[in-house]
Amino acid sequence: MNAYRDQYAQTFKNGRNVVLIAISADVDTALASWARDADYPVLFASDTGSAVGKAYGAYNAQYKLDNRNLFVVGPDGKIAYRATPFREIDPMAYTELGGAISKLVPADSTAR
Amino acid sequence: MLTTLVLAALLQQPAVPPAPPPGPPALAVGAQAPDFSLPGATRYGTLKNPVRLSDYKGKTVVLAFFFKARTRG
Repeated sequence: MNAYRDQYAQTFKNGRNVVLIAISADVDTALASWARDADYPVLFASDTGSAVGKAYGAYNAQYKLDNRNLFVVGPDGKIAYRATPFREIDPMAYTELGGAISKLVPADSTAR
Repeated sequence: MLTTLVLAALLQQPAVPPAPPPGPPALAVGAQAPDFSLPGATRYGTLKNPVRLSDYKGKTVVLAFFFKARTRG
């Protein structure tokens, strides 16, 4: 999650027309306290029953946790890009993700 | 006698238990993203209203699944 935080301005355009939702099976209070301690500018969602993880095919039945799968949902509500799994320590993973987001988000709508 | 029966029963077990079924496959590019409604949290605390994907229609949403809070990544 540190990498997401550190990439927030660039890859996630500081949240401008991009919403980053991090999902795990943790309870919401655990997510909130972690986010506070590490100052994550991320919206967390608590999928304690893993229903959403299963719906997206991120659920790992062996560990009963979600794999580090990432999906970009476009403005039309369809999956526009996926990284399964997202290689969070590989700089290329962010370059590729940033490219996929830039295709969907109007080029620098803040400039004028 | 009992020991023999137990042993016989044990021997009939397959040596390796069958692997649990793998999870469903990851959604493909182009698929409709299933809507959801989940309790939410930010660095400022837990949210009163649930997080709904459909609330962000028209925006680009990155859904980042991860293992567990307070682990790396």
